[in-house]
Amino acid sequence: MVDVPAGPAPARITDSAWRVRTRRGGELLMSLLKNPTTVAGLVFIVLLLGMAIFAPLIAEPNTPDAYQMPRDWGALAVPPGSPGHILGTTNVGGDVLYGVVWGARTSLRLSVIVVSLTVLIGVTVGSIAGFRGGKVDEILMRIVDVFLSIPELIFALAIAAVLGPSFRNIILALAVVFWVKYARIMRAQIIHVKENEYVDAARVIGDSPLRIYLKDILPNSITPVVVQATLDMGNIVLVGATLSFIGLSEAGIAEWGVLVSEGQSGISAGRWWSSTFPGMMVFLWALGFNLFGDGLRDVLDPKTESTR
Amino acid sequence: MTAPANTVVRTGRDGDDLLVAVRDLKKHFPIREGALQKVVGHIKAVDGVSFDIRRGETVGLVGESGCGKTTLGRVVSGLTEPTDGGVYFGLGGEERRKLDTLLEVQSPDRTDEQSEALSALDANHRVDVMVGDAFDHYRRNCQVVFQESFASLNPRQLIKDIVGRPLRVHREASGSDLTERVVELLEQVGLGRQHLFRYPHQFSGGQRQRISIARALALDPELVILDEPTSALDVSVQAQILNLLHELQQERNLAYLFITHDLSVVRHMADRIVVMYVGKVAEAGPTQTIFERPEHPYTDALLASSPDMKESAQDLQALEGAIPDPALPPQGCRFHTRCPVATPACGWEVDDIVRWLEDEEGMFDELRDVERKSPFEAALSFRSEDAANRLAAALRSDAVPDAMRSAIEDLNTTGTDTRIRFTAVDEVQLTLRSEDHVAACVLNRGTSTEPS
Amino acid sequence: MSLIDGIGPEAAPRARPAVASVKDLRVHFRSKVGVVHAVDGVSFDIGDGETLGLVGETGCGKSVTARSFLDLVPMPPGIKAGGAIEFRPHHTCPSCDGAGCETCDDSGRQAEPCDSCNGGGCEGCGHTGQRTIDLLEISEKDLQTIRGNRIAMIFQDPGKALNPALPIGEQVAEVFFQHRADDLLADAGASDGTEALGGALIQRKAGLKTSRIEDFLLSLPPLRGQRTKLMAAVQTRVAEALAETQIPNPRKVMDRYPHELSGGMRQRVMIAQAIACDPDLLIADEPTTALDVTVQARILELIRDLQQRHRTSVLYISHDLSLVKEVCDRVAVMYAGRIVESAATSSIFTDPHHPYTQGLLAAIPSANHERGRLVAIPGNVPELIDPPAACRFAGRCPYEAPACTAHDPLATTITANHEVACFIHHAPAGDEERPTWDRKVR
Repeated sequence: MVDVPAGPAPARITDSAWRVRTRRGGELLMSLLKNPTTVAGLVFIVLLLGMAIFAPLIAEPNTPDAYQMPRDWGALAVPPGSPGHILGTTNVGGDVLYGVVWGARTSLRLSVIVVSLTVLIGVTVGSIAGFRGGKVDEILMRIVDVFLSIPELIFALAIAAVLGPSFRNIILALAVVFWVKYARIMRAQIIHVKENEYVDAARVIGDSPLRIYLKDILPNSITPVVVQATLDMGNIVLVGATLSFIGLSEAGIAEWGVLVSEGQSGISAGRWWSSTFPGMMVFLWALGFNLFGDGLRDVLDPKTESTR
Repeated sequence: MTAPANTVVRTGRDGDDLLVAVRDLKKHFPIREGALQKVVGHIKAVDGVSFDIRRGETVGLVGESGCGKTTLGRVVSGLTEPTDGGVYFGLGGEERRKLDTLLEVQSPDRTDEQSEALSALDANHRVDVMVGDAFDHYRRNCQVVFQESFASLNPRQLIKDIVGRPLRVHREASGSDLTERVVELLEQVGLGRQHLFRYPHQFSGGQRQRISIARALALDPELVILDEPTSALDVSVQAQILNLLHELQQERNLAYLFITHDLSVVRHMADRIVVMYVGKVAEAGPTQTIFERPEHPYTDALLASSPDMKESAQDLQALEGAIPDPALPPQGCRFHTRCPVATPACGWEVDDIVRWLEDEEGMFDELRDVERKSPFEAALSFRSEDAANRLAAALRSDAVPDAMRSAIEDLNTTGTDTRIRFTAVDEVQLTLRSEDHVAACVLNRGTSTEPS
Repeated sequence: MSLIDGIGPEAAPRARPAVASVKDLRVHFRSKVGVVHAVDGVSFDIGDGETLGLVGETGCGKSVTARSFLDLVPMPPGIKAGGAIEFRPHHTCPSCDGAGCETCDDSGRQAEPCDSCNGGGCEGCGHTGQRTIDLLEISEKDLQTIRGNRIAMIFQDPGKALNPALPIGEQVAEVFFQHRADDLLADAGASDGTEALGGALIQRKAGLKTSRIEDFLLSLPPLRGQRTKLMAAVQTRVAEALAETQIPNPRKVMDRYPHELSGGMRQRVMIAQAIACDPDLLIADEPTTALDVTVQARILELIRDLQQRHRTSVLYISHDLSLVKEVCDRVAVMYAGRIVESAATSSIFTDPHHPYTQGLLAAIPSANHERGRLVAIPGNVPELIDPPAACRFAGRCPYEAPACTAHDPLATTITANHEVACFIHHAPAGDEERPTWDRKVR
């Protein structure tokens, strides 16, 4: 028999699966870091996450519930640069710096909980619909259609309003609204991926449907979900802040939307700081995750992957 | 010599080397339409196919795209459930005879005893109903190599995991033992240890097909279904893969079901050939017989249109017309719509007139309604008397094939209606032409020298 | 394959200059890892009325070469790295008006005279006296008058080359509007421009230049009659073009959409579109690869028949040597961006000189080969990133000599019309000592 020589890369007998996978991860990271806007997004995210994680060190809490804004009734609406209040205070004596820092922690909590919940629900529903097909698919997708026919913000607003104003209810409302997108994406991906012959090949081998799903279908269809989840990490904070802004969470918690809302009445009187700083934080948070999410999409696109 | 309607015409010789028996296999796909997804018809992808595969032999399955060869391969490999009939795996010679005797009786006429015997055979050997050990045995022994080497390898798995997966699933090996088994398999297909930890996209098309073959061989199967394994490859790489397949067959006594549209490849590789046309077997027999003494005009046409087959270009002969819609297969012989030697007994029907009208300028738009009494008898109503008369005139003239004209039993025109009746014909069955050689054609060339 | 009288390579030297000459064409591609020399110094002539087959395996550069004719290679990442594609356009023979006569050799077409010497022969036209255009140099606007008109192309996948949203008739009609507006006006009896405004409008309509408002004006009663005549003229031409490719009931097919037709039918529509303007050169890029053998045979027959009737020159691109044998007068074999061998079809098949050609021919499975004994070319096609000055086939070649990796073989004429780019001197055919792939590899 005429043999074929080895492929392009030199033979590395010492390779192991682990090494190859980490090398691949490294390559992925490197191509991610080649794009300056992605790097910018990553920098914002790291800064904001750092702020959220080290919040107790940056702004030490002095109330029993650290997520409640401490009130300094002796310094109402002082401008930035005042002693003890570097970024000034709100109309009701809340320290803006404290709000900004602990607001990051609130946002992190909000986005992580909502994204994990929605991804879990969406991927499960989408997978069942796409993998099973037929009647099950039909019913699930009609439900999804109903959800999709109502604008996200208005839907979330309605739910939060019905449940009553609290931050926990905002989380719930967002989770109810945001899972449908994942279900849609996942179903479309699975219907596409399960047509691949490697799925047939796995069936011919005799592998179980669950393992075929976990090994062949899920890893090859999850990429758009990962990208969407990254983008939603930003979007959810934006929508959450909007809901808080219009008064759907408890007053007085360290949340950017609440702070913007508290400060808005003072803007006309020249007290810009208590709305601007938290507003900027919302902007940076959303921007950071959107930039990073876009970069991630470019890198994870299977087309660019296979032509290497 | 003519086989009765429900008799399975076998192309295999009797013996104990039988591996797979396909019996009257049908696969119909429903066509759904409208908001309620109502079933409006069926695509008869495979419509009553029978043949045998013996141990260590290569059966070539050829035909044009849409003839059902890929669907047939999927049913044999257990990926698709048949609509009717069955694929029997691992029958002994005695059991095969028993099965064929049982199948000769139509199901309503079967005695309880016969039905019981049949279900016992089914449970142990019929691929779509077998369970437990029997299914496990079948699964290990029947593997597939697909056409698209890229789509058939999971892009996120390493070669070690892809090739080792069958061993892991069937708990044959794990850990370093698994790695060694994979290396062994890779070496058998001309790859090596250095390829273990790579992803599929790092290989060329030919190499990926080698990986597919290694995976198919992992469980040491008896049958490998090769679905156009070299169609996507260049000719020089194709030669490598064909050589490899032959070598592996010699070493392991593999049986191949080689599905391809490429006659030169199938001539080179196959021991026996099954020619399919619109869901049915047109002709089947030993490779040499099929190529040298074909009995079916469709086989002739395939051979004549394949440029590799001949020495000089002048012989290249093209086939008229298009492949019929498998949802409405032609009556009689399915090839009669394109056959250059069709006879009046080939199943001329009302649809042939409709097809003819479609190709005739200005006529099809005139057709208002076709009222069918049977596939062979109908009243065609036109918008104008003129069109009805033109059709009647055409049907009496050279505008239609002689054979079609001769098959008309009754033709009369009243006003805008034309009534027509063709000779009703049964579906053309496979008949034995020489040893191990069957064809479904009303003509018998008598070229075969049949041993008595 | 029967050669066309008088123009076959084995006949006397070509009486008429080539329709197109590719000279040292180089098309490269920028990639992450370096510049890929996809086409790297390709030269060949396509004789008038000749069918030239360009064969090679995936990635050898045959399609890029063909696409360079009509500037269809995306740039970037493609780079025009050098060379020229000289094209000599023809017009309808004035003495017989396309019917075919003595002066135009029955082709009905005649070469346009050179602009600078008016047929006398000068430096600019390579002393042929014919107008010569370098397709790599001319502007996009000039190219548009040639594309679909003087040079037409058919592709592997007619499903992708046809617009799924337009009926067949309209798509073929576009070619006529684009390149034959004057003829259409003449057919419609509107060429003399009876009414000033109407005449101008209908002329614009024929050239597909009307705006919506103008279209609206044309639909109004005074101009409507002319418009109807024009559309009828187009319909007739389209039906004729479709009938030319043996499409049954062309008037019905014109109303259909591409997805309603079979692959073979779609390819016929593509061919009808391509030959609508009676081009000088037809480029067929794997036109039958996506089709069944029985349909393929029909399409090959059709191309051959049209080529003989219209005396069109054809550049036939294929990976399949056995197909090329069916349709081509001459064959050029490409490997890794180069032409390694070119000769008359019969000599390529009976007396191949280049080891790669020999390998390719031997790899085709046939009944003569013992099973499992097909000749496979070992190894893979080299990556064409900054290739060294060496034979591209070195490393896979069974006759490799030291010279092969140190020098770049040039195409040399072995016998009349037979060029090979290989250092090995091959003994004449029939010599028992001549090495063969079978003996060498086995």
